[in-house]
Formats: sequence, C-alpha cells, structure tokens
Amino acid sequence: MTESNQKNSRHKHTIAPSPVANYLLIGAGSMFTATVIAGFIVGYALDYLFDTMPIFFLACGVLGFIGGAQKVRLLTKRLDQQATQKTEDKPNVE
Amino acid sequence: MGTVEYIQHHLTNNSVGEGFWTFHLDTIAVSFMLGALMIFVSMRLVKQMETGTPGGFQNFVESILDFVAVNVRDAFPGHNPLIAPLALTIFIWVWLMNFMDLIPVDLFPYLFQLITGNPHAYLKIVPTTDLNTTLAMSLTVFCLIIYYSIKIKGVWGYTKMFLFHPFGKFFIPVNIIMTFIEEVSKPLSLALRLFGNLFAGELVFLLIALIGGTLAVGAAALFWAPLQVILDLAWLIFHLLVITLQAFIFMVLTIVYLGMAHEEAH
Repeated sequence: MTESNQKNSRHKHTIAPSPVANYLLIGAGSMFTATVIAGFIVGYALDYLFDTMPIFFLACGVLGFIGGAQKVRLLTKRLDQQATQKTEDKPNVE
Repeated sequence: MGTVEYIQHHLTNNSVGEGFWTFHLDTIAVSFMLGALMIFVSMRLVKQMETGTPGGFQNFVESILDFVAVNVRDAFPGHNPLIAPLALTIFIWVWLMNFMDLIPVDLFPYLFQLITGNPHAYLKIVPTTDLNTTLAMSLTVFCLIIYYSIKIKGVWGYTKMFLFHPFGKFFIPVNIIMTFIEEVSKPLSLALRLFGNLFAGELVFLLIALIGGTLAVGAAALFWAPLQVILDLAWLIFHLLVITLQAFIFMVLTIVYLGMAHEEAH
C-alpha cells in the first residue's frame, strides 16, 4: 500500500468535524472575554457566600482565563483539523 | 446643552423605580411594539398567502425562512420542531430592535419631548443598546440550554459534565467550578457581544450628530454640514451590515448552543 493510499484509508475512519465549529469561531474572541468575566462573577458570588473575599474572586478569575484560553485553543484546533482534511482530500496529481 | 450632556441625555433610559427594581419603560415599550409588529405582519401574511405565484413581500419572507432553515439544518444535529421557529423569531426580532439604531438619533426623543411638554424627557429607542434586553434574551436561551441538556443527557449525564470535564476524575472540585464558569460565559458572551456592538454604533451616530450641533454660523457651515451628511450616510450603510450580522450571530449561536445541548456526549 502506498503512502497516499494509507493516508486515504486513515481518513475514511476519522469523523469530519461538524460545521458547528465554524459558527462557534465567530464568537471565539468574545467567548474568551466572557469566560474571564464569568470567572470573576462566579468567584465574587462564592466569596459573597462564604465571606472569603478575595480568594475565590482571584482563583476563579484565573480559572476563567485558563478555561477561556483552552476553549479558544480547542476551537482553533478543530479548524486546523478541517484544513488538514481538505488538503488530504485533494487528489494526488503525481 | 454641552457635548457631554447631549450624549448622556441620549444614553439615559426613561425609567421608573430604583436600584434592582428599575424598569426601563422605553426599552420595554419599544421591544413590545416591535414584537407586536412582527406578529401582526406574520398574521396578515398568513391570511393573504398565495399558493401559486407569490407576491413580492411573500417572496421576501420565504427567502428569510429558507435562509434560517438552511442555517438550522447546518448547525443543529438531530430534530427539534422548536428550534427553527425560535431561530426565526430571534433573528427578526433582534434585527428589528437593531434597526431602530438607523433612525435619526434626535427624531424620536424630540417628538417625545414635544408630546410630553417636558424639554428634558428621556427616550432611548434602541432596545439592544440596553444591557437588560440582551441579557434577558440570552438568559432565556440559557434556560432552554439547561432544559434540553437535562432532557437529552439526563440529570446524571448533565451532572457528569460538571464532575469530569475538562480535567478528568482527579480534579472534581476544579472541574465543577471550571464547567460552571464555562456555562455562565455562554449567555454572558451572547449578551455582551450584541450590546457592545449596538451601543458603540449608537455612540458613533451621536458623535456624528454632534457635528451638526456644533455648527458655526458662517462659512464654516459649508464644510461641516456636508461632512455630517457624508459621515452619517457612510456609517448608516456600514451599520446596516452590522445590525444584520449581529442578529445573524445571535441566532446562529443560539442554534449552536442548543445543538450542543442536544449532543449525547459533551
């Protein structure tokens, strides 16, 4: 089996990423910002509940930042996968 | 009235009550009227619907329906009869509310001041430049997301999402907080995006309107008056794209989030 055939057979078993990911990318930037803000809000609520200001406020802010960055990374990774698949789908002209 | 007062006056809602229980009457009235207009036009259209060659307006509405149906088909896995009507309602209602931004900024406040006889009466006619509107809409969508998540995945499935996502079974306390933050960020990003874009657009319209307000009587007016017209027209044409895009994004992200709620595995 040639290398290109191997690639094609491997491609047949992978699941194509849904177009939903593309739509989510529209709001990737604001999603990151909103996750950080949401972190601070949740932290503020927890601090208010347990009277521990500013421990949860800061900790959840950091978690929000990490979560937001991770979310954007996952979204862009899915886009990369799609781009790679499109390249693999192109017929080999050699 | 100075520049700052002018902008502040236009960005203040006509409200009653205090603190948390403040009701923005203009926002409530305008959004209700636009909703009623949407229902009224739809009902009239249904009555006059033709099966043969449709008229111009019917054609236009059918093209919007097709557009929304295609987007729902692309972005929503599975089948739910609620999603397409919900998406259509959101798209048209948000677009209509955004469209109020294109009406000259001084027209309705001036008419309102004439009618009430109060020269300082407040009136803000763009509901989507009020964070209460956008947050109310996004929280409604959020409630639907939670409802469908629990309905499709079950209570345990939904709870599992909080316990083991994203760092696995050894970081349960962190996972709970992290997933909770991610869930809260969904309505927050929906609301803030729409509000931010429309509020900024309104502010630019106000700044352009100020050119006319500060016109010097004399030869300088020959320069400032045409400049205001050109800038206003340019921003209006550009903003027509922005209001449509924002309505589209709100609709599509609603479909996407509800689609994610319908997926078995998160």
